[in-house]
Amino acid sequence: MIKLKDTDRLLIISTLLLVVVGVVMVYSTSYIVALKRFGDEFFFVKKHLTYAVAGVGCMIVASRLPYQLYRKLAYPALIIAALFLVCIYIPGLGVTAGGARRWVHLGPITFQPSEPAKLAVIFFLAYSLASKADRIKTFSPGFLPNILIPGIIISLIIMEPDLGTSMALASIVVIMNFAAGVRLRYLFGMGLLALPAVWLVIQNFGYMMTRIQIYLDPWKDPGGKGFQMVQSFLAFGAGGLYGAGLGEGKQKLFFLPEAHTDFILSVIGEELGLIGVSVVIAFYVIFLICGVKIAFKARDLHGQYLALGLTFMVVLQAALNMAVVMGMLPPKGLPLPFISYGGTSLMVNMAAVGIMLNIYMKENEA
Amino acid sequence: MKPGKKPKSYFKLRIYLVTGFFLLFFLAIFGRAVHLQIIQGPSLKKMAAKQHRKTLNLQSKRGDIFDRNSKELAVSVEVDSVFAQPNKIESPRTVAKVLSPILGVSFFELEKKLRKDAGFVWLKRQVDLKDEQRQIVKELDGIGIMKESRRYYPNRQLASNIIGFTGLDANGLEGIERYYDSMLKGTSARFTGEKDAMGRTLVYQDPDKTVPLEGMEVELTIDKTIQYVAEKALKKAVDKYGAVGGTAIVMDPATGEILAMANQPSFDPNDVGRFDINHWKNRAVTDVYEPGSTFKMFLIAAALDEGLIKPSNSFFCENGNYRVADRVFHDHEKYGWLDVSHIIKYSSNICSAKIGEKLGKVQLYRYMKAFGFGSRTGIDLPGEATGFVRHYNKWSGVTLHTVSFGQGVSVSGVQLLSAVSSIANGGFLMKPYVVRSVKDQGGHVVSESHPVVTRRVISAETAATLTEMLVGVTEEGGTGVKAAIEDFEVAGKTGTAQKPDFKSGGYARGAYVASFVGFVPAKNPRLAILVTVDEPKGEYYGGLVSGPVFKEIAEESLAYLGVFKANTSAPNMEVEGDAVPETDGGEALSDPAELRPMAVPDFHGKSVRMVLRIAKDRAFDVEVKGSGRAVAQHPFPGASIPSNGPVVVEFR
Repeated sequence: MIKLKDTDRLLIISTLLLVVVGVVMVYSTSYIVALKRFGDEFFFVKKHLTYAVAGVGCMIVASRLPYQLYRKLAYPALIIAALFLVCIYIPGLGVTAGGARRWVHLGPITFQPSEPAKLAVIFFLAYSLASKADRIKTFSPGFLPNILIPGIIISLIIMEPDLGTSMALASIVVIMNFAAGVRLRYLFGMGLLALPAVWLVIQNFGYMMTRIQIYLDPWKDPGGKGFQMVQSFLAFGAGGLYGAGLGEGKQKLFFLPEAHTDFILSVIGEELGLIGVSVVIAFYVIFLICGVKIAFKARDLHGQYLALGLTFMVVLQAALNMAVVMGMLPPKGLPLPFISYGGTSLMVNMAAVGIMLNIYMKENEA
Repeated sequence: MKPGKKPKSYFKLRIYLVTGFFLLFFLAIFGRAVHLQIIQGPSLKKMAAKQHRKTLNLQSKRGDIFDRNSKELAVSVEVDSVFAQPNKIESPRTVAKVLSPILGVSFFELEKKLRKDAGFVWLKRQVDLKDEQRQIVKELDGIGIMKESRRYYPNRQLASNIIGFTGLDANGLEGIERYYDSMLKGTSARFTGEKDAMGRTLVYQDPDKTVPLEGMEVELTIDKTIQYVAEKALKKAVDKYGAVGGTAIVMDPATGEILAMANQPSFDPNDVGRFDINHWKNRAVTDVYEPGSTFKMFLIAAALDEGLIKPSNSFFCENGNYRVADRVFHDHEKYGWLDVSHIIKYSSNICSAKIGEKLGKVQLYRYMKAFGFGSRTGIDLPGEATGFVRHYNKWSGVTLHTVSFGQGVSVSGVQLLSAVSSIANGGFLMKPYVVRSVKDQGGHVVSESHPVVTRRVISAETAATLTEMLVGVTEEGGTGVKAAIEDFEVAGKTGTAQKPDFKSGGYARGAYVASFVGFVPAKNPRLAILVTVDEPKGEYYGGLVSGPVFKEIAEESLAYLGVFKANTSAPNMEVEGDAVPETDGGEALSDPAELRPMAVPDFHGKSVRMVLRIAKDRAFDVEVKGSGRAVAQHPFPGASIPSNGPVVVEFR
């Protein structure tokens, strides 16, 4: 019997259940596309299952590694992350897909460097904010380096362009700075300064503009640019309370682009109904509460900030993805943590859970 | 205590704030989910269902059409049709520029289509693309190629008026294509299925239905060679006399099978649009005309059959002027006394009218109906005309006389030839047909046509007597000498009918239908042929204009069929191709008319299965030798079915 006190078990269970939901839904969503395109209905789910198993490995390994390690790794990790992000531009290494360079080829594996970059930024911030805790109210080193250094990484991600991931990462940076007690006026000031920059970015990336227009009124052009959003709404609507049943969804039949990646929640909505969607939301809420509990229990500031950063990384992305597919925010292109098809994201998120478990175990040992 | 533990109270507050923010965020998401799925749910669900459902019309490959010797007349070939999904095209200008030369569509027109606010639009259907062009088209985003089946008629104009043609969506619009449309189409089942966002059909749920059954193959009774001969001969005459049109029909009188049906004007079904709609019709079936003198043979048949006249009975032809009521009838030459044989031979209107008087309107009407006039033959072609025979109650004072020589009635070509065939066939009227068999793609016979006797019209004796008289027509001094063939007796009748003038109500001056109808060889006929030439200029006598056409068709067809002169046995040689030497029923048939539909059918080219079936239907025994297609038989076609043994058929 799991008691509410057993934070670690609750965290593991909610994580693994989300992963299981992911495997089932990736199969249900992709089998027709896979059959049509590759002649193998298991094409996507086989790959996804492999990532899930690798993810569990990442989680176990990370839970065994003492989290203090990340203090020493703070700068090297940042540098490696930055290097990988630069690799995207090297011909032969970088992979362009859908007009954006987001992937890197390394031997047989292809991965998204922006995913581990998120970890690197969190490692750095946890270390930096904890070590400068006494001077946290100062402009420098209390505020400036904790914004500037992550800013470099974020800029690199913007240039891919991957506005979704960079926005999410920027939000985590702000939240961690806020949690650590950085002066609010600096944060607000930075926010005001950033506004014109954000506007510039949006202007320069034409696709962002159309995304915002779609968000404002997807029904204006349901056959055209609003297509994806409208199809997502139709999926949710078709599902109703109980859903059409697993595998019975129609929207994934090429109506809903990227159904097995970014828009997988729409398919959950169609096939498993409001009940299924509610269960998924509930798992993320449990994940949030467990993460915050672990942060509170951590025995030093570094552990606290690390746990918070990782928790918010997962939860924020989940919230943003769900808000996007339901038309509450402009489309961003963020996967749903643990559920969406995609190896790098899954393994990074599961490694994050492993680190959180290690922080929790260290606390209990003491 | 470590440094930095101090601000922990605020730290907790800040964490609670962030956590609270997230909880509210999730709550909002949940609220939105309720809104979408429960409150807006039903209306969204309806919209989703609408876009999924689509009545599918899965197009199957249309079945081919063959002639009686399995030569292709209409085939389906796969061609490319290029479509666009305008919503997915970023730069219509560029795409239009690339596609314009490939598709042969103007840049302006393409760009307009590509800018349409639509999910799907055809750019060019049924276009011939080269491999490299296909590659270029495929690489364009939002442009796709669909395989469509296009009808191709390898013989172009040949038999086009019988075969007809199909529309762009492969539905038969004329001829066989139309009459047998549902079979040629196959089970192009319409059923409701799923479609995906690209409008493609997904029938993943029901694998049985993923492969639509292909259309069936239709084999015609038409013989491509005879058809060619008939078209060539007809066209020559139509061109020579500057006629507005014409028809030539060739029928197997024993079975009712149409061997050829030529029409002028004609058209190329591969390029229908280039021809006037007037060229499309199969006027041998759809149009009626006044038969004129050819009709006299039915009058004589009736009078003979009723025992009212004998060939030797003489009638006075009034020296070319015969007044009845307010009308004066004329002959083209002045005749005195003529016996019945010569009345036919010279085609006297006046004496025919007198025979009509003797026969009476009731009997004449009864026989006309029995020969099939005024009602459809039931031929398996669309748009068959009924023809017009007024009921005798409504005949005026001279109708009996005019009908007797073929005025005041209208007939279709196929109707007239069927009636003539009944004389050739010992008095049995056969139902004409153009489709022999329908097979599925696996070669299994779905339906097969067999000769159908509509009724016995006249006695065998009458038929034989009449035939002898009709032979006279093509002999020295007859109106039909131009139709005579060396080595064969031709039974026939000429017709020169003035065309009715629908404006004035009388007859049009100088507008004639010149016709000749007959069968050959007169004893044991193999072919019944009707030739009509519409409004020939210069010459207009049926015997002069249409007689030679008959002769040409008959001569070439008989040679092609390997029918040789009576009493000369076939040269003992291997004959190439389809022609198999057959004698003209070497044994003398004492009374061929009596034996006709009880004669041995022509098995040549038929399968074992079909031969057995015919034998069973006609109740005689068959001995099968070998396998494959029938190449030889004993007794020969047309001979009487032996009463003391089987018909031996060899297959190879």
